[in-house]
Amino acid sequence: MAKQAPGVRIDGLTVVYKTPAGELPAVRDVSLELKPGTITGIVGESGSGKSTMALSLLNAVQPPGRIQHGSVEIDGLGDVAKFRGEELRKARGRHIGYVFQAAQNSLNPLKTVGKQLLDLGRSHGVEDLRALVREAKDLLGRMGLDGARVLDSHQHELSGGMRQRVGIMLALVLNAHLVVLDEPTTALDMITQSNILKIVREVHAERGLTTLVITHDIGVVAEVADRLAVMYGGRLVEQGPTREVLADPQHPYTRGLIRAIPRLVGDINEAQALPGRPPTLATVPKEGCVFRERCPLRMDVCDTVDPAAQAYGERIVACHAVDSAVKVPSREGEHA
Amino acid sequence: MITGKGITKTFKQRGSVLAGREVQALRGVDFEIPKGGAVSFIGESGCGKTTLGRIIAGLETYDGGEIGINGTLMSSLKQKQRQPYFRRIQMIHQDPYSALNPTRTIHQTLYAPLKLRAKQTGRDEKWIDERAAEVLSLVGLDPGSVLSRYPHQLSGGMRQRVVIARALTVDPEVLVADEAVSMIDVSLRLGILALLKDLRERLGVSVLFITHDVATSRYIGDDGEMYVIYRGQVVERGPVDTVIADPVHPYTQSLLSAIPVLHGLEEPGAQPVVPVEAMDGSQEAQGCLFASRCPFRQDRCETERPVLQVTEGAPQEHACFYPERRDVIARPMSGV
Repeated sequence: MAKQAPGVRIDGLTVVYKTPAGELPAVRDVSLELKPGTITGIVGESGSGKSTMALSLLNAVQPPGRIQHGSVEIDGLGDVAKFRGEELRKARGRHIGYVFQAAQNSLNPLKTVGKQLLDLGRSHGVEDLRALVREAKDLLGRMGLDGARVLDSHQHELSGGMRQRVGIMLALVLNAHLVVLDEPTTALDMITQSNILKIVREVHAERGLTTLVITHDIGVVAEVADRLAVMYGGRLVEQGPTREVLADPQHPYTRGLIRAIPRLVGDINEAQALPGRPPTLATVPKEGCVFRERCPLRMDVCDTVDPAAQAYGERIVACHAVDSAVKVPSREGEHA
Repeated sequence: MITGKGITKTFKQRGSVLAGREVQALRGVDFEIPKGGAVSFIGESGCGKTTLGRIIAGLETYDGGEIGINGTLMSSLKQKQRQPYFRRIQMIHQDPYSALNPTRTIHQTLYAPLKLRAKQTGRDEKWIDERAAEVLSLVGLDPGSVLSRYPHQLSGGMRQRVVIARALTVDPEVLVADEAVSMIDVSLRLGILALLKDLRERLGVSVLFITHDVATSRYIGDDGEMYVIYRGQVVERGPVDTVIADPVHPYTQSLLSAIPVLHGLEEPGAQPVVPVEAMDGSQEAQGCLFASRCPFRQDRCETERPVLQVTEGAPQEHACFYPERRDVIARPMSGV
C-alpha cells in the first residue's frame, strides 16, 4: 500500500468506564474529522475526556473502559473500533504512531534506546533491522540529536526534551502516517517546548502526516494546529480553524478558557478564572448541557436538553445560546 | 525582609560514571524579598531557581554567602536557633496531589501544625478549630464542607488551596511557591494566582514565585521584582513589567520569544531571539555562561564574564556586555 497521510473520521464515539455507580461516559457522542495532512489540536482540562478520545484512535481504551458506540474510520485501515487482537497490534506502530503523555517516563529504564528500538522492530516483523536503525538515526539527527549517542543511552542519561524527541522517533520510525501526541510538552520548560513544537511542525510537513495533538494548553495548539477542537465534560463543544476560534470563540466555555490565559501584556484584570470547577466522571450531568453550571448564558433549556453540535460554515458549536443567536438574530440581546 | 548576599551552592554528582563531577547550581546570587513584596525567579529547568527557593525556605544548605532574616544573619546562629526563623518561610510545592497525606482528612492535616502553634502560644482546643476554619476561609474554601474530607475527594485546585491553608497555619512571613500553578487546570490557575495576590494584600505575606511560565508571574502583583536566572547566575533583574516588555539580556529575550503566540489574537514580536543550541550545563565557560548559545556573542564574551550592573536609562539590572532592547513578546492584534 502506498503510504500517505490518511484521513480519520470519528463518528458518534461514546466511551464508558465501569464504576460502582454504573457505566459512566468519559467521551459522549463525539464526532470529529481529521483531514489528511492536517494538524488538529484537542484542548481540554483534566477529566474532559481528551486522552480517552485519543486512545480510542488506537482502540486502546483499557478496561474498565470500553468503546460503547461509534466508529473510528481510518483511510486504508477501516473502522479500528472493530479491530481485535493481532489486527490491532499490527495497526499500532505501523499505521498509527502514538507519543504518550509523560514520554519522559515511558521508556524502559533498564534498556538502551537502541535495544528498545530493536524490540519494536522485531515485534513488528521488520526484516531489515539495520535499515530501521539507520532510519532512527536519521530521524534523531533531523531533530537535532546525535543519533548514535542517543541509541546507546539509557533514559536517565537523556534530558526531558531529548526523551520527548526519542518518543517522537519511536512513533515515526515504522513509517506511521497518522501520529497522536498526548501532552507533548507538559513538564518541559518554555525553550524546550518551543523546540519540540517546531520539530512537530517540520516533521509533520516533511513526512506528510496527519497529526493529532492533545493538550491542556491552548498556546501549544495555537502554535502548531490548523484546526482546534475544545472538549469539556466528555463533549466536543466547539471546533474550527485555530485562528478563527481564537479570534472569535463562540462557545461560552471556549471564551472563558481563552480569557483565563495569563498574558504578557495588557491589563492584568482582563484575565479571569472561570467560576466553578470542571466536572469529573461522577459529576458530569446526565442530561442537559455539561457546561451549564459554569455558564454565564445559561437558559432553562440547558437544564434538560443536551445541545447538538451544529455546523456554521467551518465552525461546529454545541450550545443553545449560540444556536438561538444564529437562528433568530433579533433575539440575540436577550442571552448576552 | 529576607536578604541574600553571594549565595553559592555546588552539587557533587554521585554514581559510577559521573562521580566527583561538580555542578555549580548557584554562583554568588544576591536577592532581597521585601516584607509583603512579590519576587519571581524565572529560568529553564536546571537553572538553579528551585535550589535557591529551597535554600530560602531552609530546606537546603548553601556553601557560601549570607542569608539575613529581618536583620538577623543566619550564620550567627546555631542550626537549632535558625528553626524559628525558617518556620515563617513556607514552601508550596508544584504537585498538590503528593503534598497532602492521603490518609488524613483536611481537619487532621491542619490540626497537627495548629496544635503545635497552640502549645507555643498557650491557646486551647477551641482556638485550633476556629483557626482551622479561618485559614480555610482565607483561601476561599468552605470549612463546613472541606474539613471532614480526604484529599482524593478534592479537585487539584482545591488541594492546592488546602496546601496554602496549611502553610498559613504558622503565620508565615513568606510563601515560596515553586511552580505552584503548573499542575492546576487552566481555567482555575488564575484563581490560585489571585489568591496569592490577595494574601499579600490582606495579610502582608511576601510571595516568592518560582516558575518557567513568565506570564503567570505578573498575576501575583504588578509591583513585583523579577529575577532571570541562568546556570546559577542572575542575568537580569528588575520590575516585572519592565523585564517582560523591555528585556535587554539575550537570555531573557530567548525565554520570552519561546512563549507560544495565540495566533488570531496576538502578533509575534518583530525580533524573536532563538538560542543557537540547547543548554549544556556540563561545559564550564570561562567567559559569559550564555555565550555558547547567544546569537549576538562577540570575542569578549568568550573570555570575560559580565556581572550584574545598572542599565542606562532603564530601571533593571543586567549581566551582559552588549545589552540591547529587542521587541520579542507577542502583543494583542489591533482591533481584537
